[in-house]
Amino acid sequence: MVVKVFFPTSCSAADSGLLVGRWIAEQSSAVVLAVLHFPFVPGQVKQYLTDVRLASGLGLAVLGSWSNSAEEKREELEQFLEDLRIIFCHEPWLQIRREKSTKFWSCQAIRSQQESAAEEIKVILIYHDQRKVMLSLLHPPESHLAAGDHRTEPLSTGGASELAAVFNTVAQSRVLFMTDKYDEGPVRLTHWQSEGVEGSILVELLKQASGPVCMFLTFLLSLLSAVCKSRVLQMWPLSFLWSKLSTCEQLGHRLHQLRLLCSSKKAQDQIQFTRKANILVSFLLDIVLGVLLLSWLYSKNRIGQLADTLIPMADYVAQELQDLLQWLMGVPAGLKMNRALDQVLGRFFQYHIHLWISYIHLMSPFIEMILWYIGLSTCLGFTMALSIFSDVIALLTFHIYCFYVYGARLYCLKIYGLSSLWRLFRGKKWNVLRQRVDSCSYDLDQLFIGTLLFTILLFLLPTTALYYLVFTLLRLVVVLVQGLIHLLVDMINSLPLYSLALRLCRSYRLAAGVKFRVLEQQTGKPLRLLMQINPLSYGRVVQLYSLPTSSSYPKDSWGSLLKKLFLGELIYPWRQKDNKQD
Amino acid sequence: MQEQQFTNIYGGAISLQCRSYDAASCREFSVCTQKLSLRGLTACTCAVWLAAYALFAYTENSAVLSAAIFVTLIGLLFYLHFVKIDQESLLVIASLGIQMTSYYASGKESTTFIEMNNVKDVVINEAIYMQKVIYYLCILLKDPVDPHGISEVVPVFQTSAARHLPTRWTASKAAGPSNSFEGAVQVEINMCILETTL
Amino acid sequence: MACGIEAKETLPEPNNSYRVNCGKWSLLRAHRICMVSDFFYPNMGGVESHIYQLSQCLIERGHKVIIVTHAYGNRKGVRYLTNGLKIYYLPLKVMYNQSTATTLFHSLPLLRYIFVRERINMVHSHSSFSAMAHDSLFHAKTMGIHTVFTDHSLFGFADVSSVLTNKLLTVSLCDTNHIICVSYTSKENTVLRAALDPEIVSVIPNAVDPAEFMPDQDRRNGSTITIVVVSRLVYRKGIDLLGGIIPELCQKYPHLHFLVGGEGPKRLVLEEVRERYQLHDRVHLLGALEHQDVRNVLVQGQIFLNTSLTEAFCMAIVEAASCGLQVVSTRVGGIPEVLPENLIILCEPSVKSLCEGLEKAIAQHQAERSPSPESIHNTVKTFYTWRNVAERTEKVYDRVAGETVLPMCERLERLFAHCGSVTGYFFAVCAVVNFLFLLFLRWVTPDSIIDIAVDATGPNGAWTRQHISTGAKKGKRTEA
Repeated sequence: MVVKVFFPTSCSAADSGLLVGRWIAEQSSAVVLAVLHFPFVPGQVKQYLTDVRLASGLGLAVLGSWSNSAEEKREELEQFLEDLRIIFCHEPWLQIRREKSTKFWSCQAIRSQQESAAEEIKVILIYHDQRKVMLSLLHPPESHLAAGDHRTEPLSTGGASELAAVFNTVAQSRVLFMTDKYDEGPVRLTHWQSEGVEGSILVELLKQASGPVCMFLTFLLSLLSAVCKSRVLQMWPLSFLWSKLSTCEQLGHRLHQLRLLCSSKKAQDQIQFTRKANILVSFLLDIVLGVLLLSWLYSKNRIGQLADTLIPMADYVAQELQDLLQWLMGVPAGLKMNRALDQVLGRFFQYHIHLWISYIHLMSPFIEMILWYIGLSTCLGFTMALSIFSDVIALLTFHIYCFYVYGARLYCLKIYGLSSLWRLFRGKKWNVLRQRVDSCSYDLDQLFIGTLLFTILLFLLPTTALYYLVFTLLRLVVVLVQGLIHLLVDMINSLPLYSLALRLCRSYRLAAGVKFRVLEQQTGKPLRLLMQINPLSYGRVVQLYSLPTSSSYPKDSWGSLLKKLFLGELIYPWRQKDNKQD
Repeated sequence: MQEQQFTNIYGGAISLQCRSYDAASCREFSVCTQKLSLRGLTACTCAVWLAAYALFAYTENSAVLSAAIFVTLIGLLFYLHFVKIDQESLLVIASLGIQMTSYYASGKESTTFIEMNNVKDVVINEAIYMQKVIYYLCILLKDPVDPHGISEVVPVFQTSAARHLPTRWTASKAAGPSNSFEGAVQVEINMCILETTL
Repeated sequence: MACGIEAKETLPEPNNSYRVNCGKWSLLRAHRICMVSDFFYPNMGGVESHIYQLSQCLIERGHKVIIVTHAYGNRKGVRYLTNGLKIYYLPLKVMYNQSTATTLFHSLPLLRYIFVRERINMVHSHSSFSAMAHDSLFHAKTMGIHTVFTDHSLFGFADVSSVLTNKLLTVSLCDTNHIICVSYTSKENTVLRAALDPEIVSVIPNAVDPAEFMPDQDRRNGSTITIVVVSRLVYRKGIDLLGGIIPELCQKYPHLHFLVGGEGPKRLVLEEVRERYQLHDRVHLLGALEHQDVRNVLVQGQIFLNTSLTEAFCMAIVEAASCGLQVVSTRVGGIPEVLPENLIILCEPSVKSLCEGLEKAIAQHQAERSPSPESIHNTVKTFYTWRNVAERTEKVYDRVAGETVLPMCERLERLFAHCGSVTGYFFAVCAVVNFLFLLFLRWVTPDSIIDIAVDATGPNGAWTRQHISTGAKKGKRTEA
């Protein structure tokens, strides 16, 4: 039988006394939490342990004796410790003795008479840093995570895990450590000692103030959300518009986060606390970046310059489009198109551009003012500015979107027509009820009409396909730009900066597991190991703590995207995946 | 502590050190691979620089040369810090667990500790790897949900690619009619060196 | 971590009592056989079960057998089946119809590794549809390993695809040591297609396990007549004919039922027929069947119908006859050889002829002139057994082991002489390239680096030894 003794390094220099800790029977391991010093009254010690047991919910007990031979009067002490075993009976009784001038301790685990004959008990001493173990949060390995979503409760999975039990024990016995060194309690203990809470008036004031501030903010936020949810804004055209604008989504997301942050409920555990801290840090960073951008924008009349370049840009784009249409209406790339259809389509699109240009010119006197007011919103955060930018792009390229939709609808119609007529050709038909292709016998005139239509559609297809191709490419460019902006926004929204900083500066706080180092050995003495905390890798930190984002990414693969493009189904930028139906 | 020489699956030389700390309860096995060869390093650097020089002669842009130096340095750092593993060790502590450590050429260590009550078994398995069929040593982890299942297979000495050979077989046969395809049989091969310690 | 050779030496010899117990074993000439085919479990069909049963019987006879096939979905790597039959599921890309894509060279590294580590001295490829089988023949010949090929199917000579396949077969088989066909028709066909010397072509029919296909009188429904069809629903199996037969017979006989097992693209034809003539209660489509369920389907009927358009050796009719069914089949390929005339009604592959045949069978059944299922089963039981197949295959192996593998120069000459100038030269170049590739691989990973695998089966097989030890224990227990 092997007994594992987890011994805190902070106790290794303690005076002789009793070992207080928890015995985990199923793993036959003893977690030493503190050393209890002489003099004491056994009754008081028992009373004290019961109190602590109630406070921490852990089965604390006296595990054995500890003797540090730096002191004198050895023999009597030995005898005394031997007697103690009878008072605090514990199975097995540990005896750890530290001798002068050697770092190897002798260690024994003694069982009562009947069992001792059965087998020899070996002891492994495992040193650990009590403070780090207490503060660190043990994460389950990746494979466990895959089995189910344990993201919210990393400790619960480790029920069977031995290390989790040890970590739990140390973390829950915080009550034991909170007694101050100078407190005159009934007993005197040695364990890890905090340097004392650093008290500052400012911190205290902030703490006091945070409550009312939070309440005030919550009130404001609830007011704001009440306004947002009001009936007027939920009416049909408006709600449709809101769902399309990424600015609104980002605003909603931030509001939700703020509400979470200001809620009067205290964070229940470390995970929730970390999440709140992450939100706060990402929010602050966002604001700081936004303010920087604001100061850059409003110095040296940059807004005016921007507005001045915007109109010529739009004109230029429209001109280019017009040229492109002219080219398509001729003999593009040497292709011979159906002349009549080509002309009709080209004129239609040209008229559209004409409309667009006049609309822009109508707007031009107000553009600078609009930009000026929009620019103010940057103070709400960098992500907000990016979202607005994305929306502005969407508005300015509305004509491209229109072209794309017309082209796609036309093309889609043709493809579907062709595919169903091709089935008619082969004597098949699509059975809607059974979702399969059935064979079917057609009449002669049905076949005749079908063939006629098929031929017409087939010969008109290249013209439509060309228009569709060109406008799809244009649309893809816009979607790509918008997608990149959304990616950036999501990254700022979801990056767990607080956790990352914690990992960087206090790497023991986020533990992936432990690692052991074998310390120097001497024959006849127990095996000595040093337990260190293995920090979580950065990738895992991001994976575990990244904040949920508001956007839903389409799960489309490239293959399905290509298929959609080929069939002429409409594609949308990433945010609008949910609204595919309309 | 004894040291033995072996070859890995690519024919390269590796050495195995077995160190016993405390009778049978704590043993360490470490496999050292070949150190970074100066010849290969020089060849790579020369190749990159020659290519850069050719490009420089063609474009007459000196940024190419500085980029080449930069790329070589970054590449070397990356290789030493993330790719090249000098030594892999397996520390087996009775009743506590198995710890696997990889020592990178830059001195970085990466450690994984597996608790003993998560270990289902240690077996030598057979697998198709690249264009080879090899035996490899691996640790089977218990599935926390299903006590008979295996949640994960953790290969040991992965980068040193040591050749493991089964010296003792224990085959367990699934009950079933002998003529059906269903009687798939699971083979477990215990490794002799770990038998004593586990 | 002992070295391979040492480990091999530590393996104890099989004890003598074992050798005495299995006196019929030819331990002197135990071959190490590698079966290669694209088709194996979990795919289901005639070739697959042929390979499996043959391997099991060869293992029983003391040979070492491994099977190499391509990965099926998640099933990849190395697996073991009953009695230590070792399967390599190689990660090769599937191209069409479960057959792998071939480039003639890309599979060499893995196959060479397997042949070396398993110390293979006989490569046995199956099915001419399998690209992997041809590849492995090619590589084995390059490496100087004896080769055997089993052809399971018949081909035409007229259309483009068969002309191409025939050419490929000519190239692949011209320097193969021995070829096995499943029926005389198939042998004729193969000899003609691949322009082979009939001397090196043997006929070993397929077999069924009669114990698995026992008749069961209780399962039959007395008042109705059920016609059973079990086949893949593809064009080759004549499902279009079946679609013509069903309405015609169903109109004539009101108590006639059809039971169709199997899956495939032609299922639609049957479904449409069923819907058009409103036969939902009389035509049952069971979908894909597991191998062990086939018997339970067969015993529910009285008549078995096979409408194949081409067939080398029809396992299905033997299985059906073994279950005591009256068999009606088309007269194509090797089918006439399979069963004696009193057990089968042969028809031309047309709707009319098949209907006549079926009517004859129904009349026989109604007049109760047909023999009882038990008597049919007892007759068929003796015809085809796997032990017999394995014995005959073993003889082929023994003969092949005595021959020499053609050296490179003779191989090239054979290719020129047999395969025409263009193809011959092309494949001669391929053979040379393959040989150079092999030399390159031997330089990169010499044979000495490749670990010798522990034998699961064969004379020194870990499985056989373990089997003996548990068997001995059991024996002791029963004695006590």
